[in-house]
Amino acid sequence: MSPRVRLTVLQMLAPLLAIGFGALVASGIILAIGKNPLDVYGLMLRFSLTRADSVAAIFFKATPLIFAGLAVALSFRANLWNIGVEGQYYVGAFAAAWVGFAIRGLPSGVHLPLAVLAALAGGVTWALLPIALKLRRGAHEVITTIMMNYIASALVLYLLADVFRDPAQAGTPRVRTPEFAPNARVPLLRPALEAVGIGIPEHSALNWFLPLGVVLCLVAAFLLARSRFGLEVRAVAGNPTAAETAAISIGRVQFMMFLASGAVAGLVGLSDVLGFFGYFDIDFPKGLGFLGISVALLARNNPVGILVAALLFAFLDRGAQGVQVFADVPREVITILQAVIILAIVVAYELVTRYVRTQRKREAERVILAPVAAAAGEGGA
Amino acid sequence: MAAVIELTGITKRFPGVLANDQVSLAVAPGEIHALVGENGAGKSTLMKILYGLYQPDSGSIAVRGQPVVLDSPRRAISLGIGMVHQHFMLIPVFTVAENVVLGSEPARRGRLAPDEARRRVRELCDQYGFVLDPDAELGALSVGEQQRVEIIKVLYRGAEVLILDEPTAVLTPQEVDDLFANLRRLRAEGKTIVFISHILEEVLAIADRITVLRRGQVVGMLEAARATKAQIAEMMVGRPILMELPVPEVAAGEPRLVVEGAVIAGARGRPAVRGLSFAVRSGEVYGIAGVEGNGQSELVEALVGLRPLVSGRLLIMGRDVTRTGARGIRLLGVAHIPEDRHRRGLVLAMEVWENLILGHHTRPIFGPGLLLDRTAIERFAQERVARFDVRTPSLRTPTLALSGGNQQKLIVAREFAFDPSVLVAAQPTRGLDIGATEFVRRQILDAKAAGMAVVLVSAMLEEILTLADRIGVIHAGQIVAEFARGAATPREIGLYMTGARQAEVRAG
Repeated sequence: MSPRVRLTVLQMLAPLLAIGFGALVASGIILAIGKNPLDVYGLMLRFSLTRADSVAAIFFKATPLIFAGLAVALSFRANLWNIGVEGQYYVGAFAAAWVGFAIRGLPSGVHLPLAVLAALAGGVTWALLPIALKLRRGAHEVITTIMMNYIASALVLYLLADVFRDPAQAGTPRVRTPEFAPNARVPLLRPALEAVGIGIPEHSALNWFLPLGVVLCLVAAFLLARSRFGLEVRAVAGNPTAAETAAISIGRVQFMMFLASGAVAGLVGLSDVLGFFGYFDIDFPKGLGFLGISVALLARNNPVGILVAALLFAFLDRGAQGVQVFADVPREVITILQAVIILAIVVAYELVTRYVRTQRKREAERVILAPVAAAAGEGGA
Repeated sequence: MAAVIELTGITKRFPGVLANDQVSLAVAPGEIHALVGENGAGKSTLMKILYGLYQPDSGSIAVRGQPVVLDSPRRAISLGIGMVHQHFMLIPVFTVAENVVLGSEPARRGRLAPDEARRRVRELCDQYGFVLDPDAELGALSVGEQQRVEIIKVLYRGAEVLILDEPTAVLTPQEVDDLFANLRRLRAEGKTIVFISHILEEVLAIADRITVLRRGQVVGMLEAARATKAQIAEMMVGRPILMELPVPEVAAGEPRLVVEGAVIAGARGRPAVRGLSFAVRSGEVYGIAGVEGNGQSELVEALVGLRPLVSGRLLIMGRDVTRTGARGIRLLGVAHIPEDRHRRGLVLAMEVWENLILGHHTRPIFGPGLLLDRTAIERFAQERVARFDVRTPSLRTPTLALSGGNQQKLIVAREFAFDPSVLVAAQPTRGLDIGATEFVRRQILDAKAAGMAVVLVSAMLEEILTLADRIGVIHAGQIVAEFARGAATPREIGLYMTGARQAEVRAG
């Protein structure tokens, strides 16, 4: 059993090595702008981890990344490239926003779930066309989802500026929807955390979407590992031809996984929209779908790993703010660090995969060699 | 007898594997020397050392009594050693002559001299009695003719010693006869031939002497005239092998698989199977013999529901399943050993237990609801692995780590689960060594004895002759002849396989 443990440790080590390599490259850049990398990293760690507001900000920032990473990973797991998480979450978030401001007078137990359902439906709707085109017509989902991103962005802008713009803001430069009904907003985590003795700053918008994201990741991990459907997903991703031979419907598996990806994508923006803003604003955070691709890559599409990867990205983001303000290092340096980590991780995973593969082969060869002498006695096996 | 090639104490180590262990081999001039052994016995490694592709870790090589260092194929060629590869290294759009001279073209003052090339190729063909047109485009030639081009190419480079790596694997029986005639002629002209194979009939037919390798070591050298198949097989495997499997006498029962006038589309929509009919009964093995690419692959896919019939009918267990699809056909108890185990048979990245339940994973015994029951799967997988002797470190080993023979055993173990009623086996022993081949064939005969109806598609005629009760010969997408066991000689069947003879047949 000990070689198995060794291989597992090695697989866990790969991302750490990649992070180390990224830090090394970023160090060169920091040196080039005349700063001491150790000081900068030290400041980054202190700023991000020792201040309560930083920790709360990291978890708040990680929340949408968890959903985005999971959405991307679900499609990657089925050998589908959903580059459209970006567009799917615009549509999902706007659908939830519409439920938030257009409907009045619902109790909170109904209004919030309704907004969440609208977000799910929005994400699924936006994922439906690309996957249908792929399965029916063979159109590559990378192309179609990228196109759907543009459409989503234009559509949301149109709805926001020309159809649902808050009339109260007319004459101001603010482009946003009316405020949501209070019952559509998601409760903050602060009361619950304080009840168990964890204090977080009063202005933190940390909300119940964080635990929801964690639970979704755990459920996804469990189902993929233990369910029949999870086995079919692995077969389709590993070898579609063999899956087809085993009478698994490739189209069905890919359809379900893509829609699941779209549904989770629909939730990406909700922590910000329903938890922080309370209205849909033109400055609504963008690019989370693409960050989700990085998160999924770093986590190797493992739903539990996504929790870690999302926290790492949120940490780097918060640290970047810190070094910008307190060490006068441009935050782009940290963006480069992120990018190098992603590049290094791809290489590191590939190396580890190859190493593990040769180790397993050798292990199997030893088993073959060992019992042959014994088999001679058995004769008619 | 002065050896033309003498390898002494060759050892070659790869990480974790001892490929050649103190191997010594002496090849006499003008002989056909066969090198036999199972997959992984070290034949190819040894020949690559002789051809300069690998360097031995220790040991020495002498050519015509002179010690040499073979550090590249170029050096080997300059010493008159040439290799005919199993996979041809030829360019389809070039002519025969162009392919032969490629890389060492005759030229006059820096300009190619195609007439000279053509003349040289014609001379070589005449000298060794090869039938080849130097101007024919290579892509239009049969596999056997292409192989002749490969041999001429090696001779053109001045080879005195020819290494042939599994040359018969791709040939029909007639082509094998032609090849052997060519090789004998080469021997008569004083060439020396090293012939690598694991097909014992051929080795006995062509070789003067036979060297047997097992796990990197030479286990013995035999005079072909005094050797027997059983003797060589035992040396190769290290234990006695039953060369002729006892075929169980089973009274054939009701028809279980019936194909009527099947038309099946192949690549680019052209019909690959054109109006084909046959029926297989319970307790019967129906062998489909034919040169590869005559519609066998498409037929097999159609039988298991992976490819639609353009017209015609498919009946399994008395039910019309023409439009049923793979899942429905599987549920009727049709087991399938696909011709390409890596492409169709296994998900190599998945673990052994996952591949063992693939296709059975919807059965309620593996869990009543959404989730898989790990205990039940574990029990099932343990039983399968033990019963079918799949050598794996654990059930959680990725399947790609297993050897080819063990991967095939895994497929057989899976497909024979849950009492299938029909077995469709395509090339079930392709690429397997003798031990695994014997095992798989025995399983097929056991299946027949248990009353299964077996369709066996194989490019190895010998396999079909051994196992099948009835033989249908497929040519150009049609069954052109049907024979009962023992009713036709291999030569006769070969004539139908190549389309040289046609007969009117009706489904049996």
